[in-house]
Amino acid sequence: GGGGPGYFQVSAEEEKVFQLVLDLTSNQTREGALLELSKKRESYEDLAPILWHAYGVIPALLQEITSVYPALFPPTLTGQASNRVCNALALLQCVASHSETRGAFLQAHIPLFLYPFLNTTSKTRPFEYLRLTSLGVVGALVKNDNSEVISFLLSTEIIPLCLRIMESGSELSKTVAIFILQKILLDDLGLAYVCQTYERFYAVCTVLNGMVAQLCEGQPSGRLLKHVVRCYLRLSDNPRAREALRQCLPDPLRDGTFLIALKDDVTTKRCLATLLLNLSDQVQG
Amino acid sequence: QSGQISSIVGIGDEPQPSGLPTLAQFITFNPNVPIFSTQPALKRIVAIAFDRAIREIIGPVVERAVTIATTSARELVLKDFATEPSEERLRRAAHQMVQSLAGSLASVTCKEPLRLSMVSHLRTFLLQNGYTEQTLPEQAIFMMVADNLDTAVSIIEKTAAEKAAPEIDDALGPAYYSRRIHRERSVQPFYDVSVFAGSRYPTTLPDALRLKPGGLSSQQLRVYEDFHRISQSMEKVMRSTAPARQDPSTFFPQASTTLGQNPSQLSQPQEELPQVLTLSQALER
Repeated sequence: GGGGPGYFQVSAEEEKVFQLVLDLTSNQTREGALLELSKKRESYEDLAPILWHAYGVIPALLQEITSVYPALFPPTLTGQASNRVCNALALLQCVASHSETRGAFLQAHIPLFLYPFLNTTSKTRPFEYLRLTSLGVVGALVKNDNSEVISFLLSTEIIPLCLRIMESGSELSKTVAIFILQKILLDDLGLAYVCQTYERFYAVCTVLNGMVAQLCEGQPSGRLLKHVVRCYLRLSDNPRAREALRQCLPDPLRDGTFLIALKDDVTTKRCLATLLLNLSDQVQG
Repeated sequence: QSGQISSIVGIGDEPQPSGLPTLAQFITFNPNVPIFSTQPALKRIVAIAFDRAIREIIGPVVERAVTIATTSARELVLKDFATEPSEERLRRAAHQMVQSLAGSLASVTCKEPLRLSMVSHLRTFLLQNGYTEQTLPEQAIFMMVADNLDTAVSIIEKTAAEKAAPEIDDALGPAYYSRRIHRERSVQPFYDVSVFAGSRYPTTLPDALRLKPGGLSSQQLRVYEDFHRISQSMEKVMRSTAPARQDPSTFFPQASTTLGQNPSQLSQPQEELPQVLTLSQALER
């Protein structure tokens, strides 16, 4: 096989990957290629730039996405159709994670084609997987603390979409959604954006408070609790939000309700202590 | 009932729907809902209510869809057509893509809000014209909306697709121009330098996936033609579902899941998707 000017040392396994990428661009071979490639994407490091730069692949993946739109309202998405589009999303997740392709991926506004999936509310498994996998693409974007990503997301509806999933999604969806929110807040632009108006702060705070209330019922998920505490802690870095949190931080975070749940999580315990210290009068100003 | 008809006032003062002049002639009046199909004044109310609903939603939905679709199509065709010398082929592919993307985005975004708005406007108009909360024909309202939702959506979808074409031509103006100029001045193969300067990858892709000098093959162009097929088949689906709706059992939202799908598939257990697992592991790190 020819590897151009020698960047590629082509093994039989790579030949297979290249053929599968080529197969994505044809209707007849796409479904099988999606399945095979989504399995291989972890083991082949340079898949993202190949997917992005090879002719016709991203348009083909966009076709996969828009072709299931008619099954969203009313919710008629089948398990098989969900699996197929989730395989396409897995490939986009790979493009979203790779530093070589992330910028172009944003510049072409591809994440916005996933928002209709995040906007669904059906609780059936095909829809849960669809939302979770779509959140995974956004999660991959924000994972590497990149300001370009955050400013892009802030120009879109991602915060309200995440907030709704944090309210009513499955536990795993909630975890990814709050992870995305936390990453947005950790960026200075993101924190300033959320704290810019009372309405925005209030919307975020209401959903976080609701999560605390849910965590008090039954066995609290340590994973979720960790993210909730960090979101509050980060909000408390903003002077106006800190002032507001003095009034509206839920009692269970103050009165030791979660001490048992956090007994093995030193970091989160420390975050909670810092949060309470930030909100106490002694450190005002 | 005829007393209610004579009490209809103010309809004559309604501004004639402009811009969407064809709506009234496309409205389906189901013979099984005699309230609306036998009384001309109520027919007009329906047309005006639906017109209002569409107007309320169409502007921002179309604008957003066109903006996103234009951005995505521009970025992707410029990359994929970097060695294609014909501006006509570029234009054709760009139109096929942008119209499909804009139409799909507009339709998926508007469908649910449009349904709610159609119900609400129809209720309001009926209440203003002799009906009371007690006598309001709720079932007939839902049937009217269910029968005509796809038509209303397709008006918005078509508007988005039509608006997207001149937008992408604007965005690609320089690309059309540079191809024309190149043809007049040079016999060398065309290369869009900006694409190749942006990244080392386009030239280092494996042979099978690399763009060839001289332009695209008809086999390659097919992936863009598929966009056209998607929009066409969506229109066909809409046309073919209209007669099927004569069956009263398909009127209600819960029955509409039967569009070629077996509802039992919806809850079918599904294998855990690998990307879901890797995602949750990634978050733990």
